[in-house]
Amino acid sequence: MESAKETKHRTTDNIAISYTGVFDNEILSVLAKEIEGTLSSDDKVNKKVFKIFIELAQNISLYSLERDVTSGGDGMGVGTMIIRNFDTYYEFSTGNKTTKENIIPVMEKCDNINSMSREKLREYRRLQRNMPAGQKGGGNIGLIQVALTASNPIEYALVKCEDGNYFYIVSVRINKD
Amino acid sequence: MNDIHIKGVHEAYFVPTVNFEVATGKCEIEGESYLEETTKFYAPLLAWIREYIDTVKGPLYFDFKLSYFNTSSSKCLVDILDMLKNYQKKGGEVTVNWYYDDSDEELEEIEDFIMETGLQINKIPLE
Repeated sequence: MESAKETKHRTTDNIAISYTGVFDNEILSVLAKEIEGTLSSDDKVNKKVFKIFIELAQNISLYSLERDVTSGGDGMGVGTMIIRNFDTYYEFSTGNKTTKENIIPVMEKCDNINSMSREKLREYRRLQRNMPAGQKGGGNIGLIQVALTASNPIEYALVKCEDGNYFYIVSVRINKD
Repeated sequence: MNDIHIKGVHEAYFVPTVNFEVATGKCEIEGESYLEETTKFYAPLLAWIREYIDTVKGPLYFDFKLSYFNTSSSKCLVDILDMLKNYQKKGGEVTVNWYYDDSDEELEEIEDFIMETGLQINKIPLE
């Protein structure tokens, strides 16, 4: 069994950028600048991570169950973002609270996306692009974009919280080559 | 009908630079497109093109120089390209240039726009 020390290493090592809190415009803009400007010396890699960040961070703002309502309206989603730096790739992860009912269709979408070839994914994106805009649950095209940008599968995990809800983690690798 | 000039902004959201000229039919969308209300931003641009097609009926030259656009922006870009394709079908003169950096992914995006809309788009690498 993994010791507490090992677990800590596994979860905290190699962190390049991490943030937990409200995903509002101000924070998104600060994080975007960090990614664009300082993550790596390779602009192409930074751009890829940035593109993935925009799509996934927006999902937290819109869909996280945990919300900060100080800004009014539906408020802004609260969640976590971690970018870890390994020898040959960056790992980009986001996490947010959700309900099982809301997240099962998203996990099915991820499975579906992961089962597709690049050509099929592009075809799927073309199809999704012609769907009416602004529909809730239209996070589909964002996930397709993440998979196409990363050229790697979308990994996900679901952890049960004490309050009966779930913490949904989505993670993708971006190769450095 | 008036020209459209929008200065690009790179802050919390990214507004692209837009220049649409009635007299010449020259139109450019440049910079980055990641907006708070994407459809609201693109609606006047689509309305402008529609009016130009209906009233001026002149040639349209489009230059896209977007270094970044998110997926909701891409939906609106497809709407613009669809409109241009329909104009062309009805005999309108349309030229579309899309400038890209040398990444395979950006080339794929342009190829997908071509497939999706049936419009001929000139792919021009950025220097």
